[in-house]
Amino acid sequence: MSSALATRISQEHASAASALPASVISLERRRNALQALETQGLPSSRDENWKYANLRPLEKVRFAPAAHAVPAEAARSMALPPPIAGYSRYTFVDGVFAPELSASADRPGIAVRSLRQSAVSAAPPSAPDARFALLNEAFATDGASVQVSAGADRESCLEIIFVASVDAQAGASYPRVELQVADGARFGLIERHLSAAGSASFVNGVVDISVGRGASVRHYRVQQLGSRALWFDTLSATLARDAKYRLYMISLGALSARSTVNIQLAGERADVGCYAASVADMHQSHDHFVLVDHLVPRAVTEQTFRGIAAGRARVGFNGKIVVRKDAHGTDSRQSLKGLLAGPEAEIDVRPQLEIYTDDVKCSHGATAGKLDDNMLFYLLSRGLDRDTAQRLLKWAFLEDVVARIEVPELRRQIEQSLAGQLNETVHLQELI
Amino acid sequence: MLKIDKLHVAVDGKEILKGLTLEVQAGQVHAIMGPNGSGKSTLAHVLAGRPGYEITSGSVTFEGRDLLAMAPEERARAGVFLGFQYPVEIPGVNNVYLLKAAINAARKERGQPEVDAFEFLGLVREKMQLMHMEDSFLSRGVNEGFSGGEKKRNEILQMLVLEPRLAVLDETDSGLDIDALKVVANGVNTLRSPQRTFLLVTHYQRLLEYIVPDFVHVLVRGRIARSGDRSLALELEKRGYDWVSGEAA
Repeated sequence: MSSALATRISQEHASAASALPASVISLERRRNALQALETQGLPSSRDENWKYANLRPLEKVRFAPAAHAVPAEAARSMALPPPIAGYSRYTFVDGVFAPELSASADRPGIAVRSLRQSAVSAAPPSAPDARFALLNEAFATDGASVQVSAGADRESCLEIIFVASVDAQAGASYPRVELQVADGARFGLIERHLSAAGSASFVNGVVDISVGRGASVRHYRVQQLGSRALWFDTLSATLARDAKYRLYMISLGALSARSTVNIQLAGERADVGCYAASVADMHQSHDHFVLVDHLVPRAVTEQTFRGIAAGRARVGFNGKIVVRKDAHGTDSRQSLKGLLAGPEAEIDVRPQLEIYTDDVKCSHGATAGKLDDNMLFYLLSRGLDRDTAQRLLKWAFLEDVVARIEVPELRRQIEQSLAGQLNETVHLQELI
Repeated sequence: MLKIDKLHVAVDGKEILKGLTLEVQAGQVHAIMGPNGSGKSTLAHVLAGRPGYEITSGSVTFEGRDLLAMAPEERARAGVFLGFQYPVEIPGVNNVYLLKAAINAARKERGQPEVDAFEFLGLVREKMQLMHMEDSFLSRGVNEGFSGGEKKRNEILQMLVLEPRLAVLDETDSGLDIDALKVVANGVNTLRSPQRTFLLVTHYQRLLEYIVPDFVHVLVRGRIARSGDRSLALELEKRGYDWVSGEAA
C-alpha cells in the first residue's frame, strides 16, 4: 500500500471515528484494526495472491462510510429481486439496516439482530490474509448478527441484501454478517450484493461464520453490483466436527471484485463444498482466493470453479488447500476451469496444495481455454447459428456450478441473469 | 441432387481425397465403403463443413448450390445432415433443447414460425419410440454419459426429427450390437423417400443387409476405385479390400 493511501485511511478514520457506532465494534477494536492495517498495508498487485485483483481504483475511493440516516431515494425506489418463499429478507443500504426494504418475519430457530443491538460479537479477524477485513473492522457501521439454534424440524432460511447506493468518492459501504449456527442446526442463507442506479460504489464486506457440530449450512452469495462498483470481500468460516458447509458464489457484476475466503476445517469429518461461477466482460476483473485449511483428520473439501472472461476482462480463481500434519484421511477435490471468450481476456485458475501428511486423497484439475471446437461444430452441424451455439456452450459450462443451486427460484433468477449477461436476445430462457 | 467433381482435400498438408467424383440423385441410397484411411470420414466431414480440411481443388454442388461456399450451419439448414461416427458429449445442453433449436433454425430458414411446443414434444416422443429410447433421455445432456449405442441412436433420432434432404451417416454401424443395428437401420429405412438421399459411410457390409443400398462405391486412397450395386459389397466381404486396392494400385 502506498504510504499516501495509509495516511489517508488513518486521517479519514480520525475524522469519522466519533460517528462510528461502538456497539457494532468497540473503538478499541477499531483502533487495533487500524494499527494492524498500518503495519500490514492493504494488498498490492505485487502480492502473489493479489495480482489478478484490480486494486488501482482504491486510490480514488473515500474510505469513511457514507453516512445517511435514511437510504437514498435511488435505493428506496430500486426494484429488489422477487422474494423467495420461506426466506425472510433483511436489507442493508450502504451498510445500514433499512427496515422499509426488509420483509422480516420471526422464524423459529433464527435470531437476527442489527449489530448495533447485538450483545454477541465475532472475534476480530484472524485469517492469514485479513487486510480488507481489518479495513471493515475499522469502519463498519452496521450489519447482521444471526444466531441459528437447533430444534426446528426443517431448515431455517434467511436472505440478506446489501445495496450500495453512493459513489466511492462520497463514501464507502461496509457490509457485515456474523453468523453462528448451533450444533445440529440446519440453515440456508442467501446473500446478495446489488447497486442502486449503477453507482460506482466501494463495498468492502466481511462475513464471519461458525458452523457447530453436525450442523449444516447452505450459503448462496450473488454479487450483481453495477458495472462501475468496486467489491472487496472477506469470508471466514470455521467448521466443527461433522459440520457441513456449502458455499455457492456467483459473480456477475462490479468493475473490480475480489473475494477472499478462508475456511477452517477444525472438527473431524467436517465437509465443505465451494462452488463458484464468474462471468466477466469489458474491463471487469473478478478475482477469488479460496483457502481451505484441513486441521483435523478425515475432513472433506470440494472446490468447483467455472469462470468466463470476455472482452478485456480478467477472471482469477486461486484455490488453496492446506493439509496439516494431523489431518490424515483428508479427501479433497478441485475442478477449476476457465473459458476465454475474447482475444484480450485473461483467465488464471490455480489449484495450490500444501500437504504435510501422508494418507490423503487430493485430486485437482485446472484448465483454461477456449470453447471446444468439436462441441461447437456439432451444434453448427445441427443448424444452430454460431452466436447461439457459443452462448449455449458457455451456458453449459456454467451449469456445472449453477445446476447445484438447490433453491429453484434462486436458480431461476440466477439463470435469467446469466442469460442476460451472455446475451439478452438469446432464447436461453427456454432452457430454464 | 449432390454432385462431387474431382474433389481434392488435404489435412495438415497431406492429400487425403485425390480427385473424388460422385453423383447422387434424389431418392437414392449410396454406400461408401473402403479400407481404413481411404478418406471415407474425410468425405463425410467435408460435406458437413467441418473446419480443418483444406479443399485444394474440385467442387461440390448440392441442389444447384455451391456447398463448399456454405457455412456448416447453412448446410444444415439447407437439409444436409451428418450422423457422426463419434458424437460429442455436451453436458449442460439438454437433448430436447438442442432438437428444438435445430428444428427452429431450419424452420426460420424456410420462413416458417417456430414449432409449437406440444406438437414438437409429440413428434419427438413418437420418434423416440421408434428408436427405443426412454423418456428420461429428453432432459439429459446431449450424449452425456450415453453408451456408444445410445449415441448412435441419438444421431438417428436427430435425423428423424430434422428430416434432412441429404443424410451422410459416418460409420453409424460401428460399435453397435445386432439389436441396436436393427433399430438404427429401421430408423433410417422409415425415412427413405423419393425426395431424400443417403450416403452411408461404412467399413463393413453388415449394415447393408439392413439398409439395402442402390449403389456401392469403394474408396481407395482418396478416389472411387470401383462402383456397383449391392453385389459389390458382398464380393468385397468375400475377397477383402486388398482385392480392390490391388486393382487400383
